[in-house]
Amino acid sequence: MITTVLVANRGEIARRVFRTCRALGIRTVAVHTDLDADALHVRDADEALLVPSYLDAEAVLAAAREAGADAIHPGYGFLSENAAFARAVTDAGIAWVGPSPTVIEQMGRKDAARDLAVAAGVPVVPSYGLEEDPAGFAYPVLVKAAAGGGGKGMRVVRSAADLPEGIAAAKREAATAFGDDTVLIEKYVERGRHIEVQVLGDSHGHVVHLGTRECSVQRRHQKVLEEAPAPALDAGLRERIHASAVALSASVGYENAGTIEYLLDASTGDFYFLEMNTRLQVEHPVTEIHSGTDLVALQLAVAAGEPLPFDQAGLRFYDHAIEARIYAEDAFGGFLPQAGRATTVHWPAAARVDHALESGQVVSTSYDPMLGKVIVAGRDREAARRALVEALDDTAILGLTTNTGFLRVLAAGTEFAEPGGIDTAWLDRNEVPAPDPAPARAIAARLWLDAHTAPAGPFAGDGFRMGAAPVAPVVELDEPATPARRVPAGTVARVTPHQVELAHHGQRHVFTRPDASADHGAAAGDGTIVAPMPGTVLDVRVAAGDQVSEGQVLGVVEAMKMELALKAPYDGQVASVGASTGQQVALGAVLFVVEAEGESA
Amino acid sequence: MSETPSTEPSLRELSADLRERLARVRQGGSEAARTKHTDRGKLLPRERVDRLLDPGSPFLEVAPLAAYGMYGKAPGDDYAVPSAGVVAGIGRIQGRNALVIANDATVKGGTYYPLTVKKHLRAQTIAAENNLPCVYLVDSGGAFLPMQDEVFPDREHFGRIFFNQANMSARGIPQLAAVMGSCTAGGAYVPAMSDETVIVKEQGTIFLGGPPLVKAATGEVVSAEDLGGGDVHARRSGVVDHLADDDAHALRILRGIVDTLPVSTGSTSGAGSTSGAGSTSGAGSTSGAGSTSGAVVEEPLEDPETIYDVVPSSTRTPYDVREVIRRLVDGSRLQEFKQLYGETLVCGFARIHGHQVGIVANNGILFSESALKGAHFVELCNQRGIPLLFLQNITGFMVGREYENRGIARDGAKLVTAVACSVVPKLTVVIGGSFGAGNYGMCGRAYDPRFLWMWPNARISVMGGDQAANVLATVAGREDDEEFKDPIREQYETQGSPYYASARLWDDGVIDPADTRRILGMALEVTTAVPTPDPNYGIFRM
Repeated sequence: MITTVLVANRGEIARRVFRTCRALGIRTVAVHTDLDADALHVRDADEALLVPSYLDAEAVLAAAREAGADAIHPGYGFLSENAAFARAVTDAGIAWVGPSPTVIEQMGRKDAARDLAVAAGVPVVPSYGLEEDPAGFAYPVLVKAAAGGGGKGMRVVRSAADLPEGIAAAKREAATAFGDDTVLIEKYVERGRHIEVQVLGDSHGHVVHLGTRECSVQRRHQKVLEEAPAPALDAGLRERIHASAVALSASVGYENAGTIEYLLDASTGDFYFLEMNTRLQVEHPVTEIHSGTDLVALQLAVAAGEPLPFDQAGLRFYDHAIEARIYAEDAFGGFLPQAGRATTVHWPAAARVDHALESGQVVSTSYDPMLGKVIVAGRDREAARRALVEALDDTAILGLTTNTGFLRVLAAGTEFAEPGGIDTAWLDRNEVPAPDPAPARAIAARLWLDAHTAPAGPFAGDGFRMGAAPVAPVVELDEPATPARRVPAGTVARVTPHQVELAHHGQRHVFTRPDASADHGAAAGDGTIVAPMPGTVLDVRVAAGDQVSEGQVLGVVEAMKMELALKAPYDGQVASVGASTGQQVALGAVLFVVEAEGESA
Repeated sequence: MSETPSTEPSLRELSADLRERLARVRQGGSEAARTKHTDRGKLLPRERVDRLLDPGSPFLEVAPLAAYGMYGKAPGDDYAVPSAGVVAGIGRIQGRNALVIANDATVKGGTYYPLTVKKHLRAQTIAAENNLPCVYLVDSGGAFLPMQDEVFPDREHFGRIFFNQANMSARGIPQLAAVMGSCTAGGAYVPAMSDETVIVKEQGTIFLGGPPLVKAATGEVVSAEDLGGGDVHARRSGVVDHLADDDAHALRILRGIVDTLPVSTGSTSGAGSTSGAGSTSGAGSTSGAGSTSGAVVEEPLEDPETIYDVVPSSTRTPYDVREVIRRLVDGSRLQEFKQLYGETLVCGFARIHGHQVGIVANNGILFSESALKGAHFVELCNQRGIPLLFLQNITGFMVGREYENRGIARDGAKLVTAVACSVVPKLTVVIGGSFGAGNYGMCGRAYDPRFLWMWPNARISVMGGDQAANVLATVAGREDDEEFKDPIREQYETQGSPYYASARLWDDGVIDPADTRRILGMALEVTTAVPTPDPNYGIFRM
């Protein structure tokens, strides 16, 4: 019987675990760093303790002891697949909500996991020894770190000639990322689908699967959209995948929740074992919806030594579910991570949202950029997909840019509409087009107009002209925009005299009114830089003919106890230098002449 | 002899004709001149105004038909100097009302004809009376030299522009200018006399004497840009304060300047000015407009467009002016004063776009009783600080021995005194005839209404053409001589036209009757933003 659970994690997953705990009447304990002192997961918990880091196993364990926790749920990431930590927890007499340390250890090493899979009769990707003759490999091959994950230390090699370089690069990355430069070589499936199976085992020797998930929509091995069940599998194939997952789990005496990941060769229907994740997955909610279960509740029950409440035959499957991961990244701007204050956060009402972001919260780059997950369900895949598009339309985060608009474009696209239509490399091969900002700009123009002109009365902003048709209002928002007739219901926006920020189809747009004072200085002169005061030339940093860029310091003049930097007014070439170091110059003396780019011959 | 009613154009037709004329003047100069202008990267004056004003801002234009039918080389050349070469009016800039005067360089280089000066001065008067910041968009070659005697020397000529600038500035009414083209000779003082000035580089020039004059005077050969271009004035001479890259930039800078003006200057009435606290959801929730402090303004019960149908085509056919009022006022509600007395003058209180207003409207010829009633009502409005609206449709005061002997002149004088000494804002719309002393009692141009407009069916003259012809024929002893009378009738016909009047700035514009309510609403919003002093009258002849 578990009475107090400490979650050794943060963000949405900590909140997710607490939610079930609360429903079960279990006391909750959060740990947090200084940065997270006011985080939502801290506020959700009955008790919260400070730790130096979420990776500090000793501190987390000490916190569990101090709070009187009798179970630790590790979530995902951080210490979740740290066998030593799991062992320390169980040694301390605290229930570990996860599989045994031994299994974590075995599955944590790719080579060991592969051997276990082979032993259990699970198909694995053909692999090659480093000592084998590279000429005999079936290219392309994948060189990957044995201790890896998350795409680090991976290289696709297409010919024997490129192999040495690929191995070297993978080793370097592996050493940096994991402190272990062991690499493996295996067949590379060009168009593969990522299919995984959720399994659950108890301490009484029962193992069941809770169906498949597909997570093929990935960008650089980071999952973007996930769904359950995996679509477009024939019954036989699905059965074989289920069976092999259960067989592998049973062979190691797996307890608690785990996931077995497969690579499905879309062209042949062959599937290969990739790895087993010995924890709850980010994408577990789609399985919960599809199987009608609460995986965290089941995890806690199993960790408390209870048998599974159902056997395989007792499991039913329900709706199709899709999850979209909301990241703080500029998907249409090179996927650069974004940070800042999320001034306004609006999560969709008609979706399950597992998140840890509310209005006013600061998003830092210190932790995982995932802000939350939008999970929808539908009677079939198409219904779920449409629900996802709608939910993303109703998701609005202002203050910083997220990938919501990108997810929306993806979800609404024809490729994703095709069941199993996207392979794991699709996003790396294809550029998702950014949405046209024009409709959003038109809405922004309407918002600005409504906020800044009289809505009625003789001076209403309708462009009235005497004895003539009204002048259509044009609102300059980066470029001239004709206001939309109306603002769509539920539009989330921040309107100031100078800026309109709004979310449209999930995408955050920031439109700015022209600022005359901001571009005031742009009116550069003729490129002649004169002495601003009578004084002494302290430094001459350029010579005639030098290329200079706008704002670059050309020289320094000392006058009236001040050092004045003379800067290039624009990019160009120094045409002449009329000063030398130490020279006394009069007010207005011509010191430099800069010719703008394109002007000089 | 008299025309049959069926041949007279309806008010709707006259309004359509008005819109055509307005459309033509709003094109500005010739197509060639406009192309030349825009090819230089310059915006046309009305585009400049549109961009200067807030997006969607209405524009209460002053005298668009000024100089209509004038200065042409040939008869019928009615559009020689459209809008007198200058666009003027009131609009919103950064949520506040301001007066804009923009030269049209496509019309004779933006030079000042006599009526250009008159219109510029009229616009400045409107600004001064209503505390409106002035924004001058300068693009003018200065005085139109061939007519210098009608432009330069007199009290109300060119120099008065700068006199007004100095005195408005002294009163704290901001004077702002953007030099967007040439700005020569006397014109150079418009930016120089302004509180803050912008110039467009490599486009705007300011000099007292242009390159040709300099060469003639001193022999110095200098380019316009080196003599008085943007760089010179922004960096060396200090004549201007801001250097703009182009027209659009200059207008943005002006908007920025207006945004820095203290709230006390000019009118800031109306909702959703520049506050802009970030509203975090869809529909904007700005408060109601004007002095109504959020109260819902009732529209008239009748569509304003039906105003065309209540005014008969023939000026000789009487109609009830209350039908016009019903189409102008909120909820078509008129609280009538002395309804049963002096019935030829309708007086009463109403609201227009929420603004209280006292209406004085002709409903027939003026008798002693009507004049007395009008004087009483005007006094009431002054006592209560309620603006007055005169709806003029008056052939005159009643004549004849009985009326003269009973002293109708005495009673007319009372009305004229009351109107002349009124301190509340007065607005006049000539909705029909404006003849003789009726013009005075009903607040004609000489009585300083803050604004005066005419409908396209209006007629204005000291008396009717027939009456004038008969009077003159009688005086000349040629009572039955139609050949004598015809040219007189023709003269009155021509000069009585609202376009003849508007061309000469006897009014602030000929307006489409269907626009009247909107225009009155704007005018009330502008005029009621300044406080009114206590009333004080001359001697009422008893």
